[in-house]
Amino acid sequence: MKGALIPVLLLVAWEAGSRAGVLPMDSFSRPSDIAVAFARGIGDGTILLATWQTFEAALSGFACAAIAGILCGAILGLSPRIERVVGPSIDALRPIPSVALIPLALLLFGFGLTMEASVVAFACFWPIVLMTTAAVRGIEPRLPDVARSLELSFISQMKKIILPAALGRITVGLRLALAISLVVAVTVEIVLNPRGLGYSMIGAQQALRSDIMYAELLWLGVVGWLLNYVLRKIL
Amino acid sequence: MSFGQRAVLSDVSFEVAAGEFLCVVGPSGCGKTTLLRLLAGLLPLSAGEIRVDGQPVRGPSRERAIVFQDYSKALLPWLTVAGNVALSLEACQIAEPMRTTRVEELLGKMGLQNAARQYPSQLSGGMQQRVQIARALAQEPKLLLMDEPFGALDAITRQGLQDEVTRLAAEERTTVVFITHDLEEAIYLGDQVIVLAANPGRIAEKIAVEIPRPRSQLETREDRRFLAYRHRLFGLLQR
Amino acid sequence: MSRVGAALFALGLILLWQLAADSKIISPIFFPSPGRTLGELYAQVTSGRLWQPLGATTLRMLYGWVLASFLGIVLGAAIGSSRAARDYLEPTLEFLRPLPASAIIPVAILFLGLSNGMSTAVIAFGSLWPVLLGTVHGFKSVQPELIELSASLRLSRWEVLRKIALPTALPDILAGARISLAIALILAVVTEMQASLPGLGQNILLAQRSYRSPELYAGIVVLGLMGFAANQLLLLMETRMLRWRAAAV
Repeated sequence: MKGALIPVLLLVAWEAGSRAGVLPMDSFSRPSDIAVAFARGIGDGTILLATWQTFEAALSGFACAAIAGILCGAILGLSPRIERVVGPSIDALRPIPSVALIPLALLLFGFGLTMEASVVAFACFWPIVLMTTAAVRGIEPRLPDVARSLELSFISQMKKIILPAALGRITVGLRLALAISLVVAVTVEIVLNPRGLGYSMIGAQQALRSDIMYAELLWLGVVGWLLNYVLRKIL
Repeated sequence: MSFGQRAVLSDVSFEVAAGEFLCVVGPSGCGKTTLLRLLAGLLPLSAGEIRVDGQPVRGPSRERAIVFQDYSKALLPWLTVAGNVALSLEACQIAEPMRTTRVEELLGKMGLQNAARQYPSQLSGGMQQRVQIARALAQEPKLLLMDEPFGALDAITRQGLQDEVTRLAAEERTTVVFITHDLEEAIYLGDQVIVLAANPGRIAEKIAVEIPRPRSQLETREDRRFLAYRHRLFGLLQR
Repeated sequence: MSRVGAALFALGLILLWQLAADSKIISPIFFPSPGRTLGELYAQVTSGRLWQPLGATTLRMLYGWVLASFLGIVLGAAIGSSRAARDYLEPTLEFLRPLPASAIIPVAILFLGLSNGMSTAVIAFGSLWPVLLGTVHGFKSVQPELIELSASLRLSRWEVLRKIALPTALPDILAGARISLAIALILAVVTEMQASLPGLGQNILLAQRSYRSPELYAGIVVLGLMGFAANQLLLLMETRMLRWRAAAV
């Protein structure tokens, strides 16, 4: 319980400072008001709707990236030759910051879910493909031969032998990508996409409703932490 | 010596003469590692006292050097062999150019001259342990404390190092306290052997090893005195 | 042999791009050819138009990153070497870690407006975590034998820090710093877009608004190159500083 000491002290100081007039209300708000704003936001459904929108974009982008990433990663992992040919091109595309694609996505898809999900997908693709390649390359060397000698189709080989063997490390990549998906989604919303928690927070800031802004920020922190926690347990 | 509720060592009392080679042998959990750290001054005593050269031990000191069992964790991987040995000399405030000379001397003594510029990870286990010993000797310690130093090495390397350590200890006239779980090693190396029993750690037997030096791996181990000691102490370790 | 293959593959992709653009499946407003993109890039380089925004973004990224690294190493060393500090602070750090750094932007705007200060603050906050956590982890992982050795050698606290703790932590610190730099670049671009601050981020957003797609694509290429260069430079530094690792059998 030592860990809770500092946050609690900070909250108390925050509330006290605000009430004493030391901390200006516009920018700092106060914990009690934030709590009220949060309760109201939950009550009228706005916070949950915004959360759902953010998750919708994050998860759909993630799902596309996962399918493409695992498939590509498996192929690259199984064939060192293909990996040597394709690898440098991947290394050239990977350093592009996903946020640089925001204007491009906007150009191609306009505002909305597709645009956000596509940026998320780009960002999530790389960790998944890299981890999967490493995972597949790292499995017992004779397994692919076993799979081939059983004369299974490529898909069957994947499903029954290759992927289960590589699963451990693949899930590490998936976990990382999922965390990234949330971050990228919120970022796109903050910069320009009018949906989700990020957009709601910027809106609150512009309307000088710092209580709503902080409430959503803390909520985002909780949600992010919960996501990580759940991921560590189930994956 | 107690940690909280648990008595780790109880009623342990012995004397070591200067320049003597003492081996402490016992099963796992008998507190021999604790004993070593007490002697080093790394752990505070809960009862009793330790004196080195008449002075009570109150804390760690450069006069008591330790050689650890796990050499990979006890050497600094980012320094070369020479750098590792130099660390002790720096700590003992020995400046250049004396330091470089001393490093060369010590490496020569341990047969490490050719490895001076290499990193520990490039060396075999036996070589790495030699580096640790060189580093310990660099402190010119009055007391050399060795915590199962050869436990992780293969038999041949172990035997080679056993002989080297006895030779060095005799040359430098260092007092050595050597912890091991290997009874034969203890009898082979020691002037005095203490057997510890476990739970709580206490002295089960103390013997003086009256086999003259220099000893040899082949002949000494077949000597009837050696076998007699072995018979006497063997049963104690089983309990 | 494989190098030729790789080069051919990359060229093949570019050729595919050119063919797709020429076929006009997607309007050239949205999908310019590689020719036009590279032409635009070339024009920007030769006319000197590229350097100012490139410089602005780079400086922004570096200020924030250096600040974050300094804070991260100092705080990380303090937290990592103190059991008490870790007990009190680790839960809070664990909570803050998954928080998207960009989520701080509204708060930063509230306090600092749409300014360079806001940008530096956001970049520093966001890129703090990888280097801080890397440093904490590095300092936590000092071998107990080395701690006992330093006690036995009677090394001062400062000597322990300099000779033992810091070298032990260095691989983790450098790995964290590399990730931090990547984040710093991302946040530099994001804050430029958000606050219309001069730089590559603002450039590509403006290019999108006026449908100047070659400029947009060229900007993406430049940002990709920046990301690549930054990462390679740090990798080079890492290899040199950690020469002993390469020597391992």
